Amino acid sequence: MLAINDITKTYGSGRTQVTALDQVSFRLGEGKLLAMIGPSGSGKTTLVSIIAGLLTPTSGEVIIDGHPLHLRSSADAARYRRETVGIVFQEHHLVPYLTARDNLLLVPHLSGRITREDRTRADDLLESFGLADRVSHRPALLSGGERQRVAIARALMNTPTIMLVDEPTASLDTERGFQVVEMLKDQVHERGMTCVMVTHDMRMAEHADERLMLRDGRVVAG
Amino acid sequence: MFAIKELFGSKFKFSLIALAIGLVVSLTMVTSAMSEGLLTGMSGAKSRLDADALVFQRDTYPTIERSILSADDLDAVAGTSGIAGAYGVGHTYASVGSVDEPFDVRVFGLGGSMDQLPIIEGRAASGHDEAVLDATAELDGVEIGDTITLTPMDASLKVVGFTEGRRYVMVPTVWVDLETWEALHLAALLGAGDDGEQAGEVAAARMAEQFSGSASVAAIDLEPGTTIEEVQRGLGDAYRVAGIQDAADAGNGMPEMILAVNGIQGVSVVIGALLVGVFFYITTLHKTSQIAAIKAIGASNAYLYRDLLLQITVLVAIATVLGTVLALGAGAGMPPMMAFDPDPRRWAVAVLAIFGTAYVGSLFSLRSILKIDPATALGRTSA
Repeated sequence: MLAINDITKTYGSGRTQVTALDQVSFRLGEGKLLAMIGPSGSGKTTLVSIIAGLLTPTSGEVIIDGHPLHLRSSADAARYRRETVGIVFQEHHLVPYLTARDNLLLVPHLSGRITREDRTRADDLLESFGLADRVSHRPALLSGGERQRVAIARALMNTPTIMLVDEPTASLDTERGFQVVEMLKDQVHERGMTCVMVTHDMRMAEHADERLMLRDGRVVAG
Repeated sequence: MFAIKELFGSKFKFSLIALAIGLVVSLTMVTSAMSEGLLTGMSGAKSRLDADALVFQRDTYPTIERSILSADDLDAVAGTSGIAGAYGVGHTYASVGSVDEPFDVRVFGLGGSMDQLPIIEGRAASGHDEAVLDATAELDGVEIGDTITLTPMDASLKVVGFTEGRRYVMVPTVWVDLETWEALHLAALLGAGDDGEQAGEVAAARMAEQFSGSASVAAIDLEPGTTIEEVQRGLGDAYRVAGIQDAADAGNGMPEMILAVNGIQGVSVVIGALLVGVFFYITTLHKTSQIAAIKAIGASNAYLYRDLLLQITVLVAIATVLGTVLALGAGAGMPPMMAFDPDPRRWAVAVLAIFGTAYVGSLFSLRSILKIDPATALGRTSA
């Protein structure tokens, strides 16, 4: 269960102060995919960054499985992201010099060491995303859809409780976009994760279990 | 380590980076070696004498050309407390006139062992009328086995070997034993005394007696724990004692040249190091989104710093090896007249400065990346 309680995020101070999020609250249960919709500048990515522990809210709190998220240091935040969160970026952000398999193995590498089980899991994940014949390919040799699927597989590598997905279909055509969202939804349901997906595209949002609309940093529908 | 995988994963890019840094390293090393070579060309004959210090005649320091110590002076120096050993070193001007184009030399007489001269061709001089020349004399047409004629003393010497790094005031040197030098020195004085006419026999005999057993300066070794100041006090005001390097660095415009050379070396190291620092600052900044993404999936700041330092260490180490090989290759390809004298300490300083600024440049860059909003770092323009 993910609960967002009265999150506010401001930048700057005085006359130059900008409020990116203004008392945003919502709850999302396990095995649910939430589509977060909103125009540019509505605060979607800021909210995702706060849930990911990349940003600290000015006020309010993030509660995961009943426990408030308290990240006392950057090391704490890094551990939280390694152990609890899976992130998929808009531009996939795969490491260009690593193969698809090594991009997945980067996750256990950051936790300390890569085990044989990790290698098996990476291969299994890639296979489940239809990428069994692409394990040794670098991102430059993969299509846009393949890269995004590798990015999702990487986000699943640490068996996350929370999955955060930022515009996963932005660089894909409609058909491939639907495929990716369906694949994501299946994974969320199958693994019982809590997933927040940022999107501009209402058609993609309709495939989600729940929807939340942000505008000017506030929840306007959900 | 993924930093190393990145190096191997982008071989072409990192090869170019290593080449660029290698060229900077090479440039600073070549500049350093050439300017050091200039100093060696000016005073190598003095600075590389096998001694701790030189003793000059009063009021002649640092001009070895004007100093003269009699046999009694040399005995007095050798007997002074704190001096473990002493030998005379003679200096005189001459020209080699037995070649197509006569050239100036400086003749040095060694009262100590001739073995202190490193022989790169031929053998050491072992007797009267034999000489070892600095190898730059080869460029003027002198070869092993030649008999050269020195003017104005009209003396003949057989060339038995070549040494290196022993030029003086940028001209080749001729090394003979002290007895031979004494004869040459006397002949030069007598020849120059009456416009080329032979001096009178009486005057010649008087001068020969006066200069018997003399030398220009005394090269001394100090006993352990003895300082130059203590020896100076022991010798009194009739002499001036100077450390071998101090003596080499004084006179003949050396202080001004050393300042200029240090300036050239300092500027080249500073510019080279800054260039590398800025270079790494920019290349690290170019990896902003990649670093931000790796951080977002759980890399700690410590991991990112460690990874970057490892990558820079490997890259700069490769570039240093490359730069050193290039610099040594450039030195080997230079003609002997182009002074090239690598100083490992100065090269080490240049390399350390480059390593230092490479670390500072990239760590400063990474620090900036880690401080900015992750959304911005990840390349998002909308929030």
